[in-house]
Amino acid sequence: MVLELQKPRPVWQIMFSTHHTDVGYLYLVFGIVFLFMGGVLAMIIRTHLFFPGQGVLVSDSATFNRIFTVHGLTMLFLFALPVANGIGNILVPIMVRYKDMAYPKLNAIAFWMNPVGAALLWLGFADTTWVSYAPYSIIRAPGPAADMFIFGMKILGISSILSSINFVVTIVKCKHPDLPLRRVPLFAWSMLTVSLMTIVAMPTYAAALIMMLTDRLGLSGFFNPFAGGDPIAYLHLFWFTFHPEVYIFLLPAIGMMYEIIPRFSRKPLYSQASGVFAFVMLGIIGFASWGHHMYSTGMDFTTKVVFMIGTLAAVPASGMHVFNFLATMWGGRIRFAAPMKFAVGGIALFFSAGAGGVLNSAMPLDFISHGTYWVVGHMHLFLIGTIGFGFVAMIYYMFPYITGRMYNEKLASAHFVLMFWGTVQTFFTQHLLGLEGMPRRVYDYPTEFTSWTQLNQISTIGAWMIGASFAIFLASLIYYSAKGKEANMDDPWGIGGKYYYPVEAKNPHGGHSGY
Amino acid sequence: MKTLIAISIITLVALALVSQLHFAHAQLAQQTSAKQYINLRAEVWNEFFRMTTAAFTVGAIVSGTMIWLVWRFRESNPKNKAPTKWEHLDDPTAGSYEEEGH
Amino acid sequence: MGHDTAEWVFVAIVIAVLCYVGVDSWIVQKEVEAVPADAEVIKVTGQQWFWSFEHADGTKEISTLHLKKDHAYLFEIYSKDVMHSFNIPDWVVFEDAVPGHTNHAWFAPNEVGTYPIQCREYCGLLHYNMRGSLVVEDDKS
Ligand code: HEM
Ligand SMILES: [Cu+2]
Ligand SMILES: [Cu+2]
Repeated sequence: MVLELQKPRPVWQIMFSTHHTDVGYLYLVFGIVFLFMGGVLAMIIRTHLFFPGQGVLVSDSATFNRIFTVHGLTMLFLFALPVANGIGNILVPIMVRYKDMAYPKLNAIAFWMNPVGAALLWLGFADTTWVSYAPYSIIRAPGPAADMFIFGMKILGISSILSSINFVVTIVKCKHPDLPLRRVPLFAWSMLTVSLMTIVAMPTYAAALIMMLTDRLGLSGFFNPFAGGDPIAYLHLFWFTFHPEVYIFLLPAIGMMYEIIPRFSRKPLYSQASGVFAFVMLGIIGFASWGHHMYSTGMDFTTKVVFMIGTLAAVPASGMHVFNFLATMWGGRIRFAAPMKFAVGGIALFFSAGAGGVLNSAMPLDFISHGTYWVVGHMHLFLIGTIGFGFVAMIYYMFPYITGRMYNEKLASAHFVLMFWGTVQTFFTQHLLGLEGMPRRVYDYPTEFTSWTQLNQISTIGAWMIGASFAIFLASLIYYSAKGKEANMDDPWGIGGKYYYPVEAKNPHGGHSGY
Repeated sequence: MKTLIAISIITLVALALVSQLHFAHAQLAQQTSAKQYINLRAEVWNEFFRMTTAAFTVGAIVSGTMIWLVWRFRESNPKNKAPTKWEHLDDPTAGSYEEEGH
Repeated sequence: MGHDTAEWVFVAIVIAVLCYVGVDSWIVQKEVEAVPADAEVIKVTGQQWFWSFEHADGTKEISTLHLKKDHAYLFEIYSKDVMHSFNIPDWVVFEDAVPGHTNHAWFAPNEVGTYPIQCREYCGLLHYNMRGSLVVEDDKS
């Protein structure tokens, strides 16, 4: 048995490795580090907004705009994607019973593009917002920050295309011949779906970035209305990539819940087929709804209706996931260890986010919600409520597998309670702020509407609770990976049955005798 | 399961009716004021309230089910002492729902 | 009841709710997009970081807009630089100002008072302070 921390390998051996679990660790550590960096920025934003009109922590709007931009970019591209890739790297080859990823070197290259992209984003610290709408990003956004943003995103985009190709080939071509595709575990299915979506969606944004760059250099005027271009074209290209991309962020978390929920319910999954069906449906229909981000740009009635229908059409598939989870729990004997707590909490928040999403798709409500704090509340129910909870659940789940040790269940419970309560308090309150009309991306807000001040303060207190919960998380990750009790690697939670994947798979040099 | 479905359907029908009431109400309010223009903000906000009624009703059903599931099927529930029929397997999640199929 | 039937029933209910949402918002949207024929045109221009207005008779105003109660108004919304979004939250008036495009929004205020106007699309440094006010007055004439 390989206990990673009892027989530590020198760090450089992991860094220069191309073995899938090693690259997976790199992704995981990278993603978790940036979760905390992005989290610190979130705490700065929320603390600042606790005190309207006083410039606490951030005393000018230029810096504030940069902070929320980099917070968004970090959380999406340096936390959500890398963690999904990390867990995917560790588990997908094991799930499809292959010795490694299809192209190990490409895999390592794709990872090592991430630190480069991250450096460009953080050293540039752009103020374009993560959507970087033209023409602001072209004619007004200060360089070199905005140019570094373009190059950083370019690199991260290429990296995600490369790793997607790798996942698709690994799953479709390298899976064990005895394993039919429909039997491949649902987490691997989620990685397959999002990888295919990335390959279809991402090139559009890559092109848009180049066009933005040449526009900025004055060589072209694709999106610049003062050179004959049209900013709306940028919005279409952007959302054509990034509406599907929101499912790319989301689905791996759903896949992780599919790993955890049957395990802790001690019961088979309710339906593999409906899980596969729902992934594929989302993967296709996800491409039919990008226009719902553009209702207010002067879109005509018919176009709005088309995109509304496209948006609503994606809902049943998400509903099927929820149904599948609940039906799996039904009749089980559930052990609420940390991974299960976070997974179930994540389902609840996923559902609330989805219900809010149905409201967003109703065209007239766009007058009320678009561009307000409603949107911030809504998207964070997905981002932290579903992705955050799913990933944290999976990190606790993999903790014994990776470190050979056990985390502390009591601290994990405290983490869960604080994070769940904090998420509800922070982001449900932001929905109300949105209904009161407070715009998003604001450095400051007028104090004459007392409800704005109060709601902001309630929201900020919730954010502090999330912050505290993550302090607990970080401390226990570090402490228990070094000092935790040795885990029973066959069955760390004592739920009966075997702990899921062969530990030998972790060892780059050991024979993969089992398969 | 059957009763649950029946209840959900009844609630949804009730919901549809309630929201129509809202609608009628809004139209009534409009007739009494002597305006020739539709009241844009009332229309939109009424739509919002109809949609939230729908969302909260479905939400109540789903979260109610979830809370019940969590309470009923936690392993510490006395009713839940007996192992599930898959627990003797090497990997309970690899079982199947077919008639004692394992 | 087999375990597949339960799922189909569930999906059918979800689809029914979605149809309700779709049809209802179709009806409402159709209704609120119909601009009254006698609406008076107000030109609204957004630029970093204030709003300016031009009435049909040519009078111009900056930041504060004076309108009359019980009249319908059609806003023609322009931008001089980057994207903005013209918004009067209390009256549910909201549409982006996109350079190179002309967008529209309308409303007919039926209560006098002063209401905030703001920008709801990120437009740079002072986006947060791109605020104005709408004053609705009694129609004396
Ligand atoms: C501790 C938890 C978090 C808190 C308190 C938080 C807080 C915030 C706040 C207040 C904003 C709005 C900034 C503004 O409009 O002025 C924001 C924006 C954003 N957040 Fe978070 N956030 C958290 C976690 C996350 C996570 C986990 C993700 C993604 C996985 C995420 C992604 C984003 C994105 C994409 C934006 C939009 C940035 C933009 O407007 O350009 N956040 N966050
Ligand atoms: Cu979207
Ligand atoms: Cu603005």
